[in-house]
Amino acid sequence: MTPVSTSLAVILTFAVLAAIAAILLRDVLNAIIAFAAFSFGIAVAWILLAAPDVALTEAAVGAGITTVLFLVTIAKTVRPGGERLFERIAWRSVAIVAVLVGALLTTIRSLPAVGSSEAPVATSRITEYYLQNAYPETGVENVVTAVLAAYRGFDTLGEATVVIAAGLAVLLVLRQEAYV
Amino acid sequence: MIDLLATHYNYLMFVALVAIGLYGVTASPNLVKKVIGLNIFQVGIFLFFVTSGYVDGAVPPVVHGDVAGTYASPLPHVLILTAIVVGVSLTAVALALIVRIYDAYGTLDEEAIREVQTE
Amino acid sequence: MSQSDPNRTYVESTIIMTTVRVVVPFVFTFGVFVMFHGAESAGGGFQGGVIVASAVLLLAFAFGIEPTRAWLEGPLAQLAIASGGGTFALIGLGALLSGGAFLEYPAYGFGTDGVKYGIELVELGIGAVVSGVLVSLFFSLSQGDFQSVGNGGGNGSNNGNGDGDAAGGERA
Repeated sequence: MTPVSTSLAVILTFAVLAAIAAILLRDVLNAIIAFAAFSFGIAVAWILLAAPDVALTEAAVGAGITTVLFLVTIAKTVRPGGERLFERIAWRSVAIVAVLVGALLTTIRSLPAVGSSEAPVATSRITEYYLQNAYPETGVENVVTAVLAAYRGFDTLGEATVVIAAGLAVLLVLRQEAYV
Repeated sequence: MIDLLATHYNYLMFVALVAIGLYGVTASPNLVKKVIGLNIFQVGIFLFFVTSGYVDGAVPPVVHGDVAGTYASPLPHVLILTAIVVGVSLTAVALALIVRIYDAYGTLDEEAIREVQTE
Repeated sequence: MSQSDPNRTYVESTIIMTTVRVVVPFVFTFGVFVMFHGAESAGGGFQGGVIVASAVLLLAFAFGIEPTRAWLEGPLAQLAIASGGGTFALIGLGALLSGGAFLEYPAYGFGTDGVKYGIELVELGIGAVVSGVLVSLFFSLSQGDFQSVGNGGGNGSNNGNGDGDAAGGERA
């Protein structure tokens, strides 16, 4: 059991601190900036976890598009300010969160160590199958693409439908005649 | 306990992110910050999934002919990839609803909206 | 940051405009590259689509949202969404017609290369859908033609106290 690499631990700690800042900062604009920093840190963490496809998406979506959507929203609504920099701690919420954390922490010990080669996902037959057969069967070297478009293609069609439905829902909610 | 911190650090950070996200959703009076909390919660779940597919010394699952070597499991990556894009679409729907709520109530404060509703 | 202008979402900045003018072609090309190159390296429809969308968002940030919308005028986004979704569904249905299951690429009978190009086409379709939807989400969210309730004057106000009474923004 090797411990988690230092760089991964550092970047994850940074991301968690940025997330705390995003929640506790009182000014919504500051919170959005902290959220963008959080997304950036997480995108780096995906690279360290050997998931470049997820990292590309997270960097463009989390630090880019989501942040811009938040900014547009506060430009169109209000941005409550005030003299305090941070929110007051809501102790009732802390109690709710403590219950969840307690429940989750009891399960941590039963999880395999990070990066363990005996982890169920790494040794599962499905992972094995995809890695060995994706290239011979589809001619696609990136297994993620092969699984996305071929093995789980029907699921991906569903995801595309959800994305289109979300676009329609925004139009419906904002009741605009013109589309773009 | 220190041992657990060293070997299960990602899972502890997953718990931390989920906790921060839940706190944001329940504690923030501002609707925009609730959506930020929702996004943080979601990324916590992503961290859990991607970590589960990682093996020490693994390279990204781009296989050039032979499968010798350690690769990260591609399946969690696929699931999270699509989940991120669906997540940003749903965030946009939530923000559109927030813009409409502001249009109707003139505020984004949860308590104030509730007061206007009961009047 | 004048309070009298409710649609104050754009401030012209030479630095941002110049930077964006230099950077956007590369971002856009990179996005299309990622979309096309999903088979050999990290990338694919979802990744490329969001990068292309972020290039358009960069333009909107530098040159103003309204001019960018006017520049992209026409059914471009609708076309991207419809053709992308159509490509995906038709490739699936085509396999059905060729005697296979839905999205069963080998049913087309072009061997492994056929499967690969089928996957590439599906990825391009996904890329078109994702970029089209994200761009139109941004434009519809930023369109400012409905202010039925008053309070419009405080829009985007930097000064939180200005909104405080009406918005209850000081409540914690």
